Amino acid sequence: MKKNIYFILLMLLIASASQAQLKIVTTIPDLKSIAESIGGDRVDVFSIATGYQNPHFVDPKPSYILKLSKADVFITVGLDLEIGWVPALLNSARNQKIQKGGEGYIDASTNIPLLQIPSSVNRGEGDIHIFGNPHFWLDPLNGKIIAQTITNTLSRLDPEHQGQFHANLKKFNEAVDAKIKVWETTLARFKNTKVIAYHNEWPYFEQRFGLKIVDFLEPKPGIPPTPSQLAKIIGTMKREQIKIIINSPYFTAESADLVARNAGGKVVTFATSVGATPEIKTYIDLFDYNVGQLVSALQ
Amino acid sequence: MRLFCCIIFFPLFFSFTAAQSPLDSAAIADSMLTLRLQAEMQSQINPVQTVSVARSASSTNPDISAIGDFRTSYSSTGPRNIETYFNALEVQVSSVVDPYAEANFLFSFGKDSLNGDFSAGLEVATLTSLSLPYSLQVTLGKFKPHFTKVNTLHPHAFSFVEFPAMIKNYFGDEGLFMEGMSASVLVPNPWDFYQELDVEIGRSASTPALDNGGSNKLLYSAYLKNFFELSENSTLGFGLSGLSGVNALDLNTVMAGTDLTYKWKPVQFNTYNSFTWQTEALLCRSDSSSGNAVQSYGAYTMFEYQIEKRTFVGARFDYSGLPMAKKSDERSASLLLRFQPTEFQILALEFQHVNSNYGASYQQVVFRAIFGIGTHAAHAY
Repeated sequence: MKKNIYFILLMLLIASASQAQLKIVTTIPDLKSIAESIGGDRVDVFSIATGYQNPHFVDPKPSYILKLSKADVFITVGLDLEIGWVPALLNSARNQKIQKGGEGYIDASTNIPLLQIPSSVNRGEGDIHIFGNPHFWLDPLNGKIIAQTITNTLSRLDPEHQGQFHANLKKFNEAVDAKIKVWETTLARFKNTKVIAYHNEWPYFEQRFGLKIVDFLEPKPGIPPTPSQLAKIIGTMKREQIKIIINSPYFTAESADLVARNAGGKVVTFATSVGATPEIKTYIDLFDYNVGQLVSALQ
Repeated sequence: MRLFCCIIFFPLFFSFTAAQSPLDSAAIADSMLTLRLQAEMQSQINPVQTVSVARSASSTNPDISAIGDFRTSYSSTGPRNIETYFNALEVQVSSVVDPYAEANFLFSFGKDSLNGDFSAGLEVATLTSLSLPYSLQVTLGKFKPHFTKVNTLHPHAFSFVEFPAMIKNYFGDEGLFMEGMSASVLVPNPWDFYQELDVEIGRSASTPALDNGGSNKLLYSAYLKNFFELSENSTLGFGLSGLSGVNALDLNTVMAGTDLTYKWKPVQFNTYNSFTWQTEALLCRSDSSSGNAVQSYGAYTMFEYQIEKRTFVGARFDYSGLPMAKKSDERSASLLLRFQPTEFQILALEFQHVNSNYGASYQQVVFRAIFGIGTHAAHAY
């Protein structure tokens, strides 16, 4: 009898071990959404930043160290986007798997064709990212590259379920491909529309959907708008008949509203990440939302 | 107990290189696959640059930063009321050493308040493990021990220009430093909140409360850090610390400390508004040659409010005794106005009124400009 109980307990233990999900921590919710699309029920994903938070400035709270200490996989945007907080968390996580170069460390920028790589860098130019503009997830085609990178790592860590991961990748890619045609068709009539943005975080979206971002409310990346910059933007908008200012959820609308009022334009708040508004639940929703916002503003 | 600690520390530190997972053939196959994918994607997208050269070129260099601290002050006491001086330059070099550890060096070029000359000093030199089992982390070298929360900060990282009186009176102007070893562990608990225990052993520099000593007596300190997320926007930190060492008479000194920190920072607009309230207290018991122990204590409470993206205001109240003088104490009140054009430059104006029962009362106003270049690691939350 006793032997039977031990045997059943052992079997239960083995069964639960084989069902164990991979614990994934991502820096931003977009990476969480893609990881969930690929990993399905094989992964348990937590995002440190929320969708309405500026990913440059996240406080490295000790509670995140706890999550990272137990993680099998860590997915970062990379390109120094999170340089102000990720190193502090990783150094305290005491988890070799997710350290840079570890088996569970994923740099989502791997293989991404980057834009705006500076030829020289000087802090006098503001917050310049020396490896290129890090907001690459805002092009849905780059989402496919990120998904491939995640699939590779998950397949290596959980080879038993690699078939499932590759099937999910195929499904994800098909969903993006189907949607991208819709988004491009919807925005085709607005191609080359000139817009103003608060911060330089839309070059990938701009390139994919054919917008023309003429200038920014920030005089230099990361430097708050100055009166002279706002006056310059008002002049540019009037002169070039620009009607749209793209704001982000984590910038107050005061400067954008002021410029819009004086230049006869409209402020459109784009979502920079999944979860920026309650209806944006997935990576696909993110582009549905932004395309919808742009169309209703331009019509 | 001490022998036990040494036995634990040394094997832990030298087990850094215990586990390593080599690259396997699957990784190589994946690289080939991603290379093919890259080629496919690039054919769909306008020609752009890739970054492999830039990334690899910078990856082996350590992070190097230099932080300057310039001050101008007015004091109602002393032979000269107005001073203007470059207080200190801190140069920090840090990097991952290998997959198992990181190193951090901090050199300080400070002005001697007596003769006005600059002298160089090594403030921090540490090797810290990154991947020991059981969530252990071991540090050895020279560092600021975890006795009280504020002591671990370097002056440029503290909101106010002057360190709290309890730190200055017990450990000197820049706090307590020690050379030795530190081990910390994340304490598992059923409520799954963050709890970290640090234990440190070594020798401290000579300070008003502690002495390097001529005997074999070492300095022991421990810190239990607790952290709670009250909501998405607010957090509470609570710490308990203890320390045992020797004083200038080569007799025992025992200290206890506690800290409480509340922070509010709206996640969505966290660069625009924030509020911090922090209170700490310490109790010191020093044995004296008369056989009677001298007991004293110190405390401070401070708040800081961020009015808008670049402007902060704050206030602090200090009380502090002196470690070897039973009836001496000091009280002060400080007001702070801080302006941060960017995270690399801080301009602060601090007014302080100081009262003590062993000297004349005085007021001082200090302007401080902190400016940094290079890559400086983020400070702990």
